[in-house]
Amino acid sequence: MGKHYMGMYIAKRILLMFLTLFIIMTMCFILVKLLPLPAVKEMGRDINLVLAKREKMGYNKPIMVQYFLFWKNILTEWDWGVGEQMYEGLVVWDVMIDKLPYTVLVNLYSILIAIPIGLAFGIFAALKKNKWQDHLISTLVMVFISVPSYVYAFIVQYFLCFKAGWFKLTMPSVSELGGTLLSGRVFVALIPAILSLGFGVVANLTRYTRAELSEVLTGDYMLLARTKGLTKAQAISRHAMRNAMVVILPMIISDFIGILGGSLIIENIFGIPGVGNLYINSINVRDYNFFMAMSVFYTFIGLASGIVMDVSYGLIDPRIRMGSKK
Amino acid sequence: MRKLLALVLALCLCAGMVSALADGFTPAESYDPGERVFNGGEITTVKAGSGTGSTVGTDVYAGIEGKDYTDEKVYTYNDYAETIGSSMNWDPLSWETSSDSAVLDYISSGFYSFVLNSDKSGYSVVPEMAAAEAVDVTAEYVGQFGVQEGETGKAWRIALNQDATWENGEKITAEDYLYSIKELLNPKTLNRRADSYYAGQWQVYNAKNYLYSGRTSYDLITDTPENLMANGETVYVEMYDFYGMNNEGCVDENGNKCPKYLAVTDETLYRDAGVPEGEDGDWVSGKVVFETYFAAGAMYESYANQYCYTADIAPETTWDQVGFVMVDEYTIDFILANPVEEAAFYVPYYLSSTYLVYKPMYEECKAFWDADGNPVETEEEAATITTTYGRTLETTMSYGPYKLASFELDKEYTLARNEEWYGYRDGKHLGQYQTDFIKVTVIAEHATAMLAFEKGEIDGIALQSADMEKYGTSQYVKYGPNNGYTTKLTFNTDYDKLVSRGTNSQVLVIDEFRQAFSYCYDRREFATAYTAAGTAGFGLINELYCYNPFTGAYYRQSDEAKKGLLRVFDVKYGEGEEYATLDEAYEAMTGYDMEKAQALMAVAYDKAVAAGIYDGESPIEIEFRVYQSDEIYVKMFNYLNEHLQEACKGTGFEGKVTLKMTVDADYYETNYSGGADMIFTTWGGATMSPFTLLYECYCDACDGSGQQMEYGYDTSKITVVFVVDGKEVSDTLQNWALWCDGGAADHIIEEIGKFSDYDYDTRCFFFANLEAAFMSWYPTTAVYYRNTASMDSQKVQSGSDKYVTLVGFGGIQFMTYNYDDAEWAEYITNNTLEY
Repeated sequence: MGKHYMGMYIAKRILLMFLTLFIIMTMCFILVKLLPLPAVKEMGRDINLVLAKREKMGYNKPIMVQYFLFWKNILTEWDWGVGEQMYEGLVVWDVMIDKLPYTVLVNLYSILIAIPIGLAFGIFAALKKNKWQDHLISTLVMVFISVPSYVYAFIVQYFLCFKAGWFKLTMPSVSELGGTLLSGRVFVALIPAILSLGFGVVANLTRYTRAELSEVLTGDYMLLARTKGLTKAQAISRHAMRNAMVVILPMIISDFIGILGGSLIIENIFGIPGVGNLYINSINVRDYNFFMAMSVFYTFIGLASGIVMDVSYGLIDPRIRMGSKK
Repeated sequence: MRKLLALVLALCLCAGMVSALADGFTPAESYDPGERVFNGGEITTVKAGSGTGSTVGTDVYAGIEGKDYTDEKVYTYNDYAETIGSSMNWDPLSWETSSDSAVLDYISSGFYSFVLNSDKSGYSVVPEMAAAEAVDVTAEYVGQFGVQEGETGKAWRIALNQDATWENGEKITAEDYLYSIKELLNPKTLNRRADSYYAGQWQVYNAKNYLYSGRTSYDLITDTPENLMANGETVYVEMYDFYGMNNEGCVDENGNKCPKYLAVTDETLYRDAGVPEGEDGDWVSGKVVFETYFAAGAMYESYANQYCYTADIAPETTWDQVGFVMVDEYTIDFILANPVEEAAFYVPYYLSSTYLVYKPMYEECKAFWDADGNPVETEEEAATITTTYGRTLETTMSYGPYKLASFELDKEYTLARNEEWYGYRDGKHLGQYQTDFIKVTVIAEHATAMLAFEKGEIDGIALQSADMEKYGTSQYVKYGPNNGYTTKLTFNTDYDKLVSRGTNSQVLVIDEFRQAFSYCYDRREFATAYTAAGTAGFGLINELYCYNPFTGAYYRQSDEAKKGLLRVFDVKYGEGEEYATLDEAYEAMTGYDMEKAQALMAVAYDKAVAAGIYDGESPIEIEFRVYQSDEIYVKMFNYLNEHLQEACKGTGFEGKVTLKMTVDADYYETNYSGGADMIFTTWGGATMSPFTLLYECYCDACDGSGQQMEYGYDTSKITVVFVVDGKEVSDTLQNWALWCDGGAADHIIEEIGKFSDYDYDTRCFFFANLEAAFMSWYPTTAVYYRNTASMDSQKVQSGSDKYVTLVGFGGIQFMTYNYDDAEWAEYITNNTLEY
């Protein structure tokens, strides 16, 4: 019965997600099309050539007709258009797909590394609550949370790349690193970026884990668990951590979303050719097709993550059954 | 009680209104700046041909004596770019930005090239894709392509370099040039670079007509609609962007969709789908829209130049009517619409690039679309053609000294020596192209690029103002001009526009106010503090501009140009004056005099009050629109604001005038519509022939419809008088500028002939005085000449330490190496680089 409700709940959320996505996309499309295109005024040049290009791109059609064509092309041919003001003539989808793996990879690495470290520090701090180790960790956590990631990025770049010379200042090209993204050499080249992105995540996780675990560890059921004969480690891993994760896991997911959007500066600093700056550039130069594709990407990620986060509550804590009428 | 309160409130409101009316100040309806006459001085002219030489050198710098440029070692130039993906199009027919041309310059060769001369003191011209100098064959085309008997300089024969090949070794013949120019002007593709052969000075006969054959093209009006209509032109009003008539429901009574452009006399009514049926404005016509909004006296009259157009219907033209002829396998002729004068310089100058595409690859890259945007199979069926040529490694074909070897989007690209390039074998490029590879990496952050440079990972860096403290005195720094740009403060002087803002900024129409502004800031201090390598700017024309292409003489260094600026800034020299000589006075000129600024401000205050345009008490807010508000902009703004306050001290303006900084990414457009009080403006880009600039950039239209940024400064109302060979000639500044631009300034031509009839020094005299005339009423005031500061790494050595017009520092072509790649790697591992 529970599974049935959960299934219904997920299906409902997915449907609502697409409805929300559609509404957001409609608003984005209409609003961006209402913006005037950059004026054409170039001395000694024929502006009609630019105007003709815009005509060719369908800019003079009614906005709703353009919107209809936009959806029609996506739904029938998965055609997101070509770059007009940036990556001129290149297929928008291809550019995104070319660049996305870099962003995903650097974020994935950083979060995968940050989770165990963050949890470990959080658990350690909770277990050593109010001792000097806890104070030290808490102080460092406050520092790392307060300082924006690009500051670590420059510090990492200066000390590890420039002074120590352990890494290149910017990520070398993939061909120079063996030709494939999923290689150890690429991972090593990405370490400065991974560290820069990871510091904040580690600090955040440590803080939450410490707080949650500290609270859970004082619960009566923990005492009961110990009196049942469980070791401290068994009690923490089987009871305390499971309860603490109800709060921590959604935070991990939201951190993942956060660093997807926030990697623009890190990508720029370390020369990672990801999608980070596509969105902002598309707005700056008013490239409609890239703007729409990136809007879909980020909106979809955001909405889908919301669903995953909500569902994750139920998976971690069986007492939470969303969608159930009971 | 409630009634009492209401009564009190009503009384307060009435009292407030009465008080407001009593205090209210209505600026005068108009302001007349008075008669503006500039005495250009006397000249005894010298006709062209009797003075300086008319040939360009052909001697070429042969490299460092004894240095082996062909050894087996590997030399890589490591460069960086902030981005390579945002503008990535190396299609010679449609490239758009300087980032695009950065690649294109390496993978293509021009017909002719300007190179360092033998002693590196200037430039020489050499044929590249051409085999020899172009030959004037106009006489062969009399009766064809619009060529008349007796004309010269209109048809040019170019013998092609028979050693030229594509990177795959295939020969480049006249067929390639024919195919490429046909594709360049293909009406179905409408390539962005098509205008290279009709919009500039090298106008191939009928090229534009072929491109637009039978089509109507619309251009924004360059005069008032009324004037144009009086001259028999049809004016159109834009109905989509302005009036939103591009909806499906916007049709006439027969169901015909409303066109984008409607003649302003067209009375056909179209349903405005945005207005409910039966309400006012539910049906509109071109005539109604024009008369309601853009006609003289209508509410948006001043926007007419943004929404009203004239139309040009290109005659049906076939390819055989276009002025391009393939004479034989290695010879082509260009037949032009206008003759080229001073051909020894200008023909190679106009032909310093080529436009070749490799036919098999170009054909493969084409995609065909019908009128509705659906794909079709063949070019014949297609209404439009798009291409992906020159966008990726696979769609790029080199015919220059380098070829694209690798490309990773937004990461890196590498160019490798194109071994098939003729220049490596022809013996004419000795001491050139030592570089084997050019690797360009994306480094978006300047701080990262600096670290990479200091570490030896890149071989050149552009410096920013913050770097100058550390590197300003380094022996490795090179200073060069930044494309000839001058940064200026430009003021709006349109009284109605200024008054409409209600901030009292209409005081800007007072000449003395702007002049005081000009005197109140120290250009040298400003340039040093806020620019990387900028130098104090005084004139409209930057130090880079060369006014005599045959001698390479710089305009700003000419006596006439110096005299013009001294006159503008009121610096006297000669007997009994503060400075003995012209050069001494010019060197001492600062343009900064706070006392004078304060005196002028006091005059401006009195004039503004007397003219009834200012009440003498209210605060004045001058809106300074800037592109962004980063640290450097804020500092520049604060500097100018503080100095303006200082200039107002002791005058009626003291404590009343403030500058307000407004960030506006479209500030140029705002300025062109008269919506800004003042902005930073820059003009530049070319390095030769400053004489065309005054008309094209400063005097073409004061209402924002042209390039002129000084909104409201009407040069057709300024009179300039010269005494030419004893004869007084008077005309408007606008017409004199047009004359310098080679335009139809009929009265002046009738009196003294064409501008180009005179030698370069005579031309310089006229132009320098016209530049001074323009600046004499301070519609704009120069701040600094833009320059660049850059450093080469210790690995490389530029061909020239000194910047040479048209050649720069010699580029990759003349770059030599102190270390090869292996030696450099070892050197930077064991040493710390000091700059």
